[in-house]
Amino acid sequence: MNTLNFILGASLQPGDFTGFTFFIGSVSMLAATVFFLVQHGQVDKKYKDSMLVAALITGIAAVHYYYMRDQWAEGLGSPTELRYVDWILTVPLMVVEFSLLTGVGMAKLFWLSVGMLVTGYFGESGVTGMLDAQTWGAVAGLCYFWMAYEVGALRALSDGMPSGAVGDALASAKGKIPAAGKMLQWYVLVGWSIYPLGYMLGTDGWYSGMLSGLNWNMDIVYNIGDAINKIGFGMAVWSAARD
Amino acid sequence: MVSFHNGLLTSKIIGLIFSLSLIFFDVGDSYSSIIFIMIMLSIGIPHGSVDHIIAFLNPESRRFSSKLHFFIAYISLIIINVIIWVFSPFIGLTIFLIISCYHFGETQVIGYNSTENKFLNFVVGANILLSLFLNNIFELQEILVDFKLFSTLDLSSFEKIFFLLISVSILMMTIVHFDIKKKVPLYAELTILYLIFYHTDILTSFSIFFGFSHSLPMLLMEYEEMKEKSFLIFYFKTLPFTLLAIAFGLVLYYFNNSILTTDNLILFVFIIISSLTLPHVFIMKDFVKSK
Repeated sequence: MNTLNFILGASLQPGDFTGFTFFIGSVSMLAATVFFLVQHGQVDKKYKDSMLVAALITGIAAVHYYYMRDQWAEGLGSPTELRYVDWILTVPLMVVEFSLLTGVGMAKLFWLSVGMLVTGYFGESGVTGMLDAQTWGAVAGLCYFWMAYEVGALRALSDGMPSGAVGDALASAKGKIPAAGKMLQWYVLVGWSIYPLGYMLGTDGWYSGMLSGLNWNMDIVYNIGDAINKIGFGMAVWSAARD
Repeated sequence: MVSFHNGLLTSKIIGLIFSLSLIFFDVGDSYSSIIFIMIMLSIGIPHGSVDHIIAFLNPESRRFSSKLHFFIAYISLIIINVIIWVFSPFIGLTIFLIISCYHFGETQVIGYNSTENKFLNFVVGANILLSLFLNNIFELQEILVDFKLFSTLDLSSFEKIFFLLISVSILMMTIVHFDIKKKVPLYAELTILYLIFYHTDILTSFSIFFGFSHSLPMLLMEYEEMKEKSFLIFYFKTLPFTLLAIAFGLVLYYFNNSILTTDNLILFVFIIISSLTLPHVFIMKDFVKSK
């Protein structure tokens, strides 16, 4: 095992569960990338771009999880900047999956994802010196809810729920797209809601007292959220694309 | 014989694997000059070393009546460019940036859109260079120390991620607002480039982009169009002018001027590259027409 340490850089300490989730995040993203690339050759032509984007999302995440694991293992603390670099590159690609399936809503989803990430980063890093974390978090949350509305996330619960143009386009699409869309809507509704929880665990605000009893770590929550959402998004597209 | 689109994909995958290897094995910035020289000598310069052949390949856009006509025009452009750099590095750099934006963009959109939309070509190239510079902006300030207006800007209150965000946002605007046949694959490829630009130093970033996203695909395209029996024979044909270009660089370095005495090797490299690029851009513009 020692011979592999030149790849890993710093070593994780025994019992470092947070560090372990970074490691698991890195290898699972890498495995998912290989899987999506292999499947890329097997799927129908119209889904090839979606599979490539799915592989790209997990590939980029694998690179950043490798860096984050290293930063964590070296005792440099929570890798906020690297995490947001990863999200800036991958979240727009995730929302692009909706556009690839429906052909609508790309511009709006792009800008909402940027708004969500920028305000989230401002709140978490405190880099602006303006406003507090809970205010920035509220703006990021608004962007998330707007995006969830656009993609029709509530329709995961019931078809009669309100939705934006992307959600409507998903519902009226042909073939397996509505089923894949439903899975993606579940991810946005449930999977993406993990992130606000992570944000609240890592920042101070009206919620601090409520969450202090949980004794959870922000990075563990984010790592679990990333694994579920990034790999899950690709799996949802793959399930529509196979056969 | 490889098909161009397979070659395009292969060269970009090679570049990606190379970049990821640099990242995973934590190859330090100290190797960036070696990486740059290796890529320039093996791929970068050779891709422009058959300009005298490909200038006569596309009958739709042929503009030279003879080889002599071609060489006079080609060498004149190189000399004019060197003179501009010597008298005004600022104008030299501006011209280099404008033509580079167009040239890099034009070859980048092949496979994703027709190259007929010249404004799109320029904007895509501008996006790439902007991202390369923004993601390495602190390093760029040290390199362009002679450009006081830029090098003395106080950017210390900005974090690197801020510049990544700007470049991604501009890319989004480009992708959304231009009529591009394959929007998402183009966006996806540029995202990979931005990832590399963020995590590697400016010279390595440029080497990887220039080598594997620009030069190698063009080299393969030239090989396919020239219909040589093997790649080795084709590559052999690139050697004379590759060696001539290296000699040109050495001569320019020997007869250096006040700009070069700053020991600013990268600025010197800019001059060499821009001098070789200027005439090459016009040749490639005709070559890739309707591709």
